[in-house]
Amino acid sequence: MSLSIYGQRLDSRLLIGSALYPSPAIMKQAILASGSQVVTLSLKRQNPNEQSGQQIWRYLQEIITEVDGQLLPNTAGCKTAKEAVTLAKMSREIFQTDWLKLEVIGDDYNLQPDPIELLIAAEQLIKDGFKVLPYCTDDLVLCQRLYDLGCEVIMPWASPIGTGKGLMNPYNLATIRLRLPHATLILDAGIGKPSDACLALEMGYDGVLLNSAIALADNPVLMAKAFGQALQAGEQGYVAGIMAQRQTAHPSTPTLDTPFWHQNN
Amino acid sequence: MNIHINGQAYKLAHENPVNVTAALALYFTEPQQSTFAVALNSDFIGKDDYDQTMLKHGDSLDVLQPIQGG
Repeated sequence: MSLSIYGQRLDSRLLIGSALYPSPAIMKQAILASGSQVVTLSLKRQNPNEQSGQQIWRYLQEIITEVDGQLLPNTAGCKTAKEAVTLAKMSREIFQTDWLKLEVIGDDYNLQPDPIELLIAAEQLIKDGFKVLPYCTDDLVLCQRLYDLGCEVIMPWASPIGTGKGLMNPYNLATIRLRLPHATLILDAGIGKPSDACLALEMGYDGVLLNSAIALADNPVLMAKAFGQALQAGEQGYVAGIMAQRQTAHPSTPTLDTPFWHQNN
Repeated sequence: MNIHINGQAYKLAHENPVNVTAALALYFTEPQQSTFAVALNSDFIGKDDYDQTMLKHGDSLDVLQPIQGG
């Protein structure tokens, strides 16, 4: 079973970040081990006399070619729609892709997306031909508005970026899934462990985007494998159909012919 | 004429406007060896427009390059 993002079929339901790894070599091993075919990256000011950014860029190009994958530039650090639109256009020129992880941050403390600026930016970028993957809060109405604008993919947060706190509000996330049955939903940010990713897929989410949970693990490569397996388990669990919860206990072992049973008067 | 490139002030000896290509030559030793994109006063400038886009006193150029991201 595959994931579809703006019509492109992908074998993995994991979108992976390229930051925070102990080394470029471990980053590459982790990305390959995860099975992901979508790798996020960004643009920043850099020292013009250093070539480290250039080397990383070449390295990421090699990885994307090796996994037959797709780059997903982000607009990290932007606080207004105008900044995000400008950065998106700069990214498109360099990376030659219309795909964009749209981030517009509204609060520095928890890096919470600004919903108003996000909508303004998404509308403009869609007009400019971008395929927008907006990073947003788990607000149903915001997700609905983004979808109505033309965002085929919506990426609500599990919890604030880099916290590893997992799914803070499963009710909100489940409601978004229920109310937007045709949207591609990617759970983005705050995922800390493989079971978080598994839970998202069990809830019917189409995929997850994460970085810190793998990059900051003691063994990023092993953690990348674990996430790949967790996503498969979650997807199969969802497809298999999860049993309905019951309020009271029901014995699993048949009660007929129970030993030592006798009639109490 | 003063301009800023990535927040750093550059003082040009003359008052004549310079284009983006000339400004980039101040910033990079070898611009052709680098992967970058440009914004002038927070507006994107495509590569095809570098020669015809002129900077004036007080303008601010952002030159951004690829980096890891999440």
